[in-house]
Amino acid sequence: MTTQTQAPTKTTSTHCPYCAFQCGMNISGEPSDAIVIGDEDFPVNKGALCLKGWTSAEALAHPERLRAPLIRGSDGRLRAASWEAAMDRIEEAIRDSQAKYGPESVGMFGGGSLTNEKAYLMGKFARVALRTPNIDYNGRFCMSSAAAASIRAFGIDRGLPFPVEDIASAKTILLVGSNTAETMPPIMQYFGRQQDAGGRLIVADPRLTPTAQRADLHLQLTPGTDAALANGLFHVMIMEGLIDEDYISERTVDFELAKASAGSYWPDRVERITGVPERQIVRAARMLGESRSSAMILTARGAEQQAQGVNNTLSYINIALALGLVGKPNSGYGCLTGQGNGQGGREHGQKSDQLPGYRLLADPDARRHVSGVWGVAESELPMPGPSAYELLDALGQEGGIRSLMVFGSNVVVSAPNVVNVEAKLRSLDFLVVGDFFLSETAELADVVLPTAQWAEEEGTMTNLEGRVILRRRAFDPASGARDEMEILRELAQRLGRGRYFDFESPEEVFDELRRASAGGPADYSGISYEKIEKSGGVFWPCPEESHPGTPRMFVNGFPTPDGRARFHTTGHSLSAEMPDTEYPLFLTTGRVMAQYQSGTQTRRIGELSRVAPNPQAEIHPSTARSYGLEEGARVELATRRGSAEFEVRISPGIRHDTVFVPFHWGGRQAANRLTNPALDPISRMPEFKVCAVRIVN
Amino acid sequence: MEKQKLVVIGNGMAGARLVEEVLNRGGGEQFDISVFGEEPHGNYNRILLSGVLSGTHDQDDIYINPLEWYERNNVKLYAGVRAIGIDRRGKTVYAAGGHLVPYDKLVIATGSVPFIPPIDGLHDNDGGLRDGVYAFRTLDDCTNMIGRTDDVKDAVVIGGGLLGLEAARGLLTRGLNVHVVHLAAYLMETQLDSQSGDLLRETLEQMGVTFHLEKLTTEILGEDRVTGVRFKDGTEIECGMVVISAGIKPNVDVAKISGLNVRRGILVNDDLSCRNDSDIFAIGECAEHRDVTYGLVAPLWEQASILADRLTERNPGARYFGSRVSTKLKVMGVELAVAGVKEPRDEQDEVVTYVEPGRGIYKKLIVRDGHIAGAILLGDGMSAPRLLQAFDRDEALPEIRAEMLFPLSPESVGTDIESLPDTTQVCNCNGVTKGQIVEAVNGGHRSFKAVCDATRAGTGCGSCKPQVQAILEFAADGLVAEDPSANYYVPGVPMSKPELAEAVRSLELKSVSSVFETLADGREDAGSKVGLASLLKTVWGSEYEDERDARFINDRVHANIQRDGTFSVVPRMYGGITTPDELRRIADVAEKYQAGMVKITGGQRIDILGIPKEHLPDVWRELDMPSGHAYTKAFRTCKTCVGTDFCRYGLGDSTTLGIDIEKRFQGMEMPHKVKMAVSGCPRNCAEATVKDVGVVAVEGSKWEIYVGGAAGANVRKGDVLCVVDSPKDVIKYMGRFIQYYRENAKYLERTYGFVERIGVERLRQIIMDDSDGVADGLEADIQASVDAYFDPWKEEGAKPVHENQFVSSPVAVSG
Repeated sequence: MTTQTQAPTKTTSTHCPYCAFQCGMNISGEPSDAIVIGDEDFPVNKGALCLKGWTSAEALAHPERLRAPLIRGSDGRLRAASWEAAMDRIEEAIRDSQAKYGPESVGMFGGGSLTNEKAYLMGKFARVALRTPNIDYNGRFCMSSAAAASIRAFGIDRGLPFPVEDIASAKTILLVGSNTAETMPPIMQYFGRQQDAGGRLIVADPRLTPTAQRADLHLQLTPGTDAALANGLFHVMIMEGLIDEDYISERTVDFELAKASAGSYWPDRVERITGVPERQIVRAARMLGESRSSAMILTARGAEQQAQGVNNTLSYINIALALGLVGKPNSGYGCLTGQGNGQGGREHGQKSDQLPGYRLLADPDARRHVSGVWGVAESELPMPGPSAYELLDALGQEGGIRSLMVFGSNVVVSAPNVVNVEAKLRSLDFLVVGDFFLSETAELADVVLPTAQWAEEEGTMTNLEGRVILRRRAFDPASGARDEMEILRELAQRLGRGRYFDFESPEEVFDELRRASAGGPADYSGISYEKIEKSGGVFWPCPEESHPGTPRMFVNGFPTPDGRARFHTTGHSLSAEMPDTEYPLFLTTGRVMAQYQSGTQTRRIGELSRVAPNPQAEIHPSTARSYGLEEGARVELATRRGSAEFEVRISPGIRHDTVFVPFHWGGRQAANRLTNPALDPISRMPEFKVCAVRIVN
Repeated sequence: MEKQKLVVIGNGMAGARLVEEVLNRGGGEQFDISVFGEEPHGNYNRILLSGVLSGTHDQDDIYINPLEWYERNNVKLYAGVRAIGIDRRGKTVYAAGGHLVPYDKLVIATGSVPFIPPIDGLHDNDGGLRDGVYAFRTLDDCTNMIGRTDDVKDAVVIGGGLLGLEAARGLLTRGLNVHVVHLAAYLMETQLDSQSGDLLRETLEQMGVTFHLEKLTTEILGEDRVTGVRFKDGTEIECGMVVISAGIKPNVDVAKISGLNVRRGILVNDDLSCRNDSDIFAIGECAEHRDVTYGLVAPLWEQASILADRLTERNPGARYFGSRVSTKLKVMGVELAVAGVKEPRDEQDEVVTYVEPGRGIYKKLIVRDGHIAGAILLGDGMSAPRLLQAFDRDEALPEIRAEMLFPLSPESVGTDIESLPDTTQVCNCNGVTKGQIVEAVNGGHRSFKAVCDATRAGTGCGSCKPQVQAILEFAADGLVAEDPSANYYVPGVPMSKPELAEAVRSLELKSVSSVFETLADGREDAGSKVGLASLLKTVWGSEYEDERDARFINDRVHANIQRDGTFSVVPRMYGGITTPDELRRIADVAEKYQAGMVKITGGQRIDILGIPKEHLPDVWRELDMPSGHAYTKAFRTCKTCVGTDFCRYGLGDSTTLGIDIEKRFQGMEMPHKVKMAVSGCPRNCAEATVKDVGVVAVEGSKWEIYVGGAAGANVRKGDVLCVVDSPKDVIKYMGRFIQYYRENAKYLERTYGFVERIGVERLRQIIMDDSDGVADGLEADIQASVDAYFDPWKEEGAKPVHENQFVSSPVAVSG
């Protein structure tokens, strides 16, 4: 018998630093040996964690953690320096750029892992302290297509307009371009429950991923053919009378346009374009159509990260509307957000064209409201600037940005065509990077600022459901590290704009964010830290203190001028680059379970590196045989942008015409040396998911 | 800049597509666009006509661009207006009705017309096809045919090509007897070889189509109405309608009249312009490019796209080099895909075939220089996509040609744990491989939980748990250990029940919260509270410090909550025996408080149902009977038969013993509910052998004690614990068993599970032989519990402990 009687150690309930599922976790101990366990009381993950979550505390006291600012000396090397010296250097560089080239010559680049408070401050700092239009963030590479599509179709963008719990009760789910079993593992408990209850899961993916392995039907489509597949499903639904005429006439407009575009996608044509057998197309359409009372269509990066990403997403939304799913119980369209704060990060002004509350920077009413809250003249607010890749592409160029501040992003790994991005970063006069490790991007910086980590900070995050949750501080920031709020406050003071950034705590920032968001689409004004504490999270919109939040949207109408959702014409186009004799295969990129995004954190964690030590190129056995490649061999892949090196992983689950590579690594192993920066005309999303590649060996 | 005038003759698959492609490229800014369409409709999808005929598509669903689309895009559509000629010098199109439309650029997309073979009796007096004879070309043809299908029984389709077979199948689905007449020796002879053609015929014959091969139709029979057809060999078949589907020919009339170079089709260059007029272009079925005219939609659309690139100057150098032609037969139930050539050109061509006539499968691949020159795939829809894509893209083929002829990836493979390689990832959430699990098991982690804790497998979404268990069993080779946590009394405190009971005693923990505080690092686990309360009561009897939140609603109000939120009240009737006076009180209470139902229970008592929470104390007071404890994890009732006083067979006085048992154990907290019974003879009228504890009187004034019986969701016959000589011994050994169960069973473990888990042999040793030296303690403890009994309806229970205890909540509680 064992009886413990010593005092229990302090336990802090907070959230995982990684993906948008934002698992609740309890952290205890000291930073050096902190223990993380899943929080069974948090209603989203219900105690489940994946390996990334279990090992997340290892980054806190990691030996490679930055513990002092670094300044690049005249010999070109980065050396530890005082905060004072680092801030002097930054102030000098900003003033220098501004004096020589004007305020627009200073840019900022943010990230979807930053808290709402930080995202808000980034946007405000750019517009108020720097007065530059040049700010965007890595969420542009992530959520922008789904966001633009949702706004066009529904008038608002919240990743999931319903709680994840609803997934468990859906009869049929179509999951498009999502390998969520690896990228967001704890969510699979809901799909598991759904299937256990007799529900059916359809997965559309060029690979037989762990997610697709669990599907009742796997549609193994050719990369870049999502819109054709969606239109084909739509065509069959119309043909077989599976659509909901009443819903269409009462709650939507422009059905005829969408119907006409689907008319050209008869099943055998769609088979030819997508490579999905006709009978599977018909079967999928029936499975969805016959579950009209409860079906869901969920998209993710597979369909969205394309130069026709918005169009692809709209084509799936068309189906959801035609079946009358949107706004019905245990039904609807949703997008599975990727980054930790991918939802909140796109709502509060970190995006080039946005102001807090999901307002548009170009909208005069929005400008009036937000400038009022900020206490600046509306005319002082810059107009929208370029999108992420365009911003990076213009760095150091004639009339472009001369000095750049990067927080929470490792762009030389995560942007498309990183060979170009790295060259552009090098052409800057001055680069400052805030991070807690020396990321590949930080290695290029003139000044590196050590920042606080997730468990060392407080702030709100908005998860994939639009549930605003509280990240609680378990430990003080590691010695030498500061959080972005402090950094921006001091810089603002140095630039003579300190009065606009005089915040003592994240909660004060949040209170201003609430006011700035009031009346906007993503209205946080009724949410407070206290309210989140009490309820385990509040779903926006929440316009009043007394408002309970909005777990389920669109029940009675859509926030469009006429209250109706919109269909769109969504033909399929060829991808920006198609295989040819020179580059005969498709390349598609994505993630693996044991790494996260640019890998700055996860590549440094022992157990994760053991599971995923280096990037593997997945190749079909037949293709591998043609090139004489064997399992584990080194392979060089080349595209028109560059080449990179991988280890061969022979996988019968991938299409024979497609090679998959994960993008979590830097240098010669960076998948984004290969990717095509062709941009979606609306969302400016790069085409990470399709380009033409050649096996060099 | 002034807009140019773009005129398109033809509003079919090619013409309308071209207009779309031009508009998609911003051509609306560059051109004023006019379109002549001979049919009075907007643009519809000709490909889907066979769907309309067979009823899979509604006619309204095949429009690509309805008339309003033209308006919305500022395209002037001359619907139902036939272009007659072109004044090429004046750059003007002449059309029926006197229209004169000038152009800067002109596109001819007049498509094709059906080839009508010379047959007697085909035409009416106006030179058109006579009533009952149809070409299968336009939407009007289609609707006319559908209109006729109601009146006729037999149809003849002339032509066994792609379109003819689609028409045949369409008519078949409309209930007609269908005859296909074909001149060649086998079907679809331009796309198929004879073997696949024959196989296709057999498949279609099985569907009900009748074929007449190598037959030349010479005459349509019948005066007013069609009655049949006659062949050259003189034979005839009867029919009420005839569909002519003998091929198409390019519609070049306008071009010819206007002096453009025409052979079979309008001759065009790689830029799709006409040979002798660079401002006039031709695309689609009417165009002849490098000696080829196309009849399928894919090449038409390719041409439209390239021409739009040129016209809008999006890509002024775009050129057309010809198309690779492949297609699928749109016939329900037949999966046929064909591409390229059907026979090898010479010995250099490699031919790969796979034939399975029994299942109608025929696959043929003609490989030239490592690429597909042609393919036929019949009866295998799953392989078609890859094959046709490889053909379309002119991909280099894999060395193993068979890979092209069988589906890309097999349907999910079964998971045979033994044969999985060690590198197979089992838990996706945590990246755990089979090898790691095996290693953990070999390293001594031999329970499911230990393996999961050691590897983290199963701690994410949990879906791999069955596989982890299977690998554990495989690797442990019969040495799987029970989880320590499987022995935890409650999940929130990591101790088995005896350990916990010992700790509770030695640390003098008398309340649930003190147990969490001391034994569980202060972590309160809601799911463990009620179980702990039960144990504490067992250990401490009246010294137990009650905390209300450690009780279920039933325990908090001493009654059983019902579906509608009201409660049921079951007073105790010892041994199932009652009196007229008790019955009278029950009746009075039931009437006064408007009980929804009064029912005899399975435990020989009376249940008064439908009492609102706030009336419970009054009901108890007026009943003046003890609580039957029908609501809690406790001893419930002891069922009896009538015993020796009245029954002719009675061997022992079961009623007296039953009453004694009930009086002794009443109100006693248990890990789960406990039901008992006493039968006076082996006829077992009280069903004692399926009770948690049952007693049966047997010959020789002896009593058998059964334990671990059940007749609920699980049914189990109890095990005989012992045979004793007297009712006194019954009470004694029963008491030992009950106390042992109370102290050692997991919370919510019924006796049937407990007895199986411990084993009846082992129980006999402990209880009868006192092998563990605990018998005296068990007796003392149970006596303490007996002494601690109080009636909750009489004492503290009837006085509210807090103000809301007996107040109904506004919303019905469900469960």
